[in-house]
Amino acid sequence: MVQPSLRRPLLTLLGSVLVALPVCAQAAEWGSISGRFVYDGDAPTPPKLTVDKDVDVCGKHNLVNEELIVGEDKGIANIVIFVRDRKIDVHPDLKATEPVVLDNLNCRFAPHVVFVQTGQDLLIKNSDPVGHNSNVATLKNPASNTLIPASGETKVTFRSDEAVPAAVTCNIHPWMKGWVVVRDNPYAAVTGEDGSFTIEKLPAGEVELQFWHEKAGYLDSMVINGKKTSVKRGRMDVEVEADGTDLGEMVLDASVFK
Amino acid sequence: MNLPSATACKNNQPTTTAPRLSLACLGVCCLLPILAGCGQTPAATFRPNMVESAKQRLQPEQEQQVATILEAMFGTPDNPVVLPETGLDIAKLRLAAGPVHSDIVGRKNGLFREHCSHCHGVTGDGMGPTAAFLNPYPRDYRPGWFKFKSTERADKPTHADLVTILNNGIYGTSMPSFELLGETKVDALVEYVKYLSMRGEAELSLMRYYFELDDEDEGKLPETRDFLIEEILLPVAERWQEAEDAVIEVPEMPEVDLTESIAMGKELFYGNKANCVKCHGVTALGDGQANDYDDWNKVVKQWSAELQSAHETSTSDMTSEERSEHRAWLAKSDRVLAGDALDPRTIQPRNLRQAIYRGGRRPLDLYYRIHAGINGAPMPAAAGTLSPDEIWHIVNYIRSLPYEFDGELGADRSMVARDRL
Repeated sequence: MVQPSLRRPLLTLLGSVLVALPVCAQAAEWGSISGRFVYDGDAPTPPKLTVDKDVDVCGKHNLVNEELIVGEDKGIANIVIFVRDRKIDVHPDLKATEPVVLDNLNCRFAPHVVFVQTGQDLLIKNSDPVGHNSNVATLKNPASNTLIPASGETKVTFRSDEAVPAAVTCNIHPWMKGWVVVRDNPYAAVTGEDGSFTIEKLPAGEVELQFWHEKAGYLDSMVINGKKTSVKRGRMDVEVEADGTDLGEMVLDASVFK
Repeated sequence: MNLPSATACKNNQPTTTAPRLSLACLGVCCLLPILAGCGQTPAATFRPNMVESAKQRLQPEQEQQVATILEAMFGTPDNPVVLPETGLDIAKLRLAAGPVHSDIVGRKNGLFREHCSHCHGVTGDGMGPTAAFLNPYPRDYRPGWFKFKSTERADKPTHADLVTILNNGIYGTSMPSFELLGETKVDALVEYVKYLSMRGEAELSLMRYYFELDDEDEGKLPETRDFLIEEILLPVAERWQEAEDAVIEVPEMPEVDLTESIAMGKELFYGNKANCVKCHGVTALGDGQANDYDDWNKVVKQWSAELQSAHETSTSDMTSEERSEHRAWLAKSDRVLAGDALDPRTIQPRNLRQAIYRGGRRPLDLYYRIHAGINGAPMPAAAGTLSPDEIWHIVNYIRSLPYEFDGELGADRSMVARDRL
């Protein structure tokens, strides 16, 4: 029954405050986690996008659908890796002060996936000679959609973290799609063109990672160092060693992205 | 012959005894309600948000937990409950809730069911019996998005904003004016809309939270006050309370000649800065962008696309247990899509030649629409990009559009905007 527990005395407000503010309590040792996501199968050619708005400007960039980008060396770009632990020591060097930039550049979002912390500014710029708008479909935070003229910019901040990366779209140019990852600590990364990632200065000890890709969703299974590993809802416990933890090659079968 | 059971009636197979069977069916069908309690209608219930439940792949016991928590927080359609954190007035809610009836002092109660539920549904999910026949669809309050208001795009409407909607209706839609109900009843209905919206948002938060649970929670939400109030209810309720102090400040219209203002507005409309032309079209007939969806329809549209690709996913790698789970989810999702969601429709940018403005035709209303954009719709906010003066110029230009004659009309271009669509 719920009713009696609703009447239970308020345990403590501190819990939610701790979540909101990264705690600067010091872990004894710090380490990094790195790895590389690899595609098992023939690298797909990203399909061309239909550009039917502002063709004179947007039409010359040979835009492609970026929902699955596999590099020459089979690295998978744009996989999001973040630490799920709600209470985690944050290394003093990692205090987020600079805004994170998401640019409307060549009629696409650059970068395709951007990571921002709660309270940090997300600076959405428009470097194109045409106007854009950036519609950020967050679930826990109020969704925003601002008009950004050529050379204009706008700032968005997030109060709460998002369990799932939020899509950002442009209503003027329907092919444009990007993603915003909002977490309340600095421990997240997005794989580069070569599929590799590094999360630095984590407190040594066990952390829970979560892996996400826009086409596959949370990555349920992968082959790590030759061993098939089932990761429920994309979650995996990893031991952070002081001299660094390398997860090595994490191979994803082509069928994951079907 | 044995009396056929009720199930036999439903699965009425054509047989030689069909006439007799259907007679017997008639008998059973007429008797059943009487046996069940002399024609009493069952108590109204809130409909769970099945689309979100299917999206989140909730198990039946999780759906049950959400229902139990919501009932403790908000009560039932006949008997609303409010926690102080909501800031809602239970006396107003009682007037709006329940079946239509007279209370002890002869005052009519059950206003929402009498006036609103045919379209908006008992749950406020925008899926009342008439919903599918209306265009646009009635508002679904559950995500907490409201379009026509005096606050910033992502903010809630003020109480007064919703009163205005009820009093004026929404021109160009099926939403009529309820002004004749009088102040007290309209006020009660607005309170009830806020109640249904808060309930809907709390339901969404609860359903989405299962995904964030740790393994040791074993798929069950914590039922502590700390979680239910601090994490679920307060974030929703506070945003409604904040709205009252978040009305957009509108400076005076600049003192320039109206013709001049209209000309500047026109330049902005077609220019790269305000970019109105991209969606509202070169003609301003609303024909610039025809393939977009509003946020309510987008939820269904995207989910049905996801479901489609899930149907095409190979199940050969799955264990037999995973496969049957997957199939059960697909079957449930298909049912939900057919029965708990309206067919997604594209949204049309407003035709600005018709002088029909859903959120009100006062210059001030148009100012709000441009400044804040329209929450839930593709229309972005211009605040920060355009100065207040520039917004006023666009307002003036838009107000001139239904009467504009630019000399380009001819035998092949009808004078009446509607005919040119």
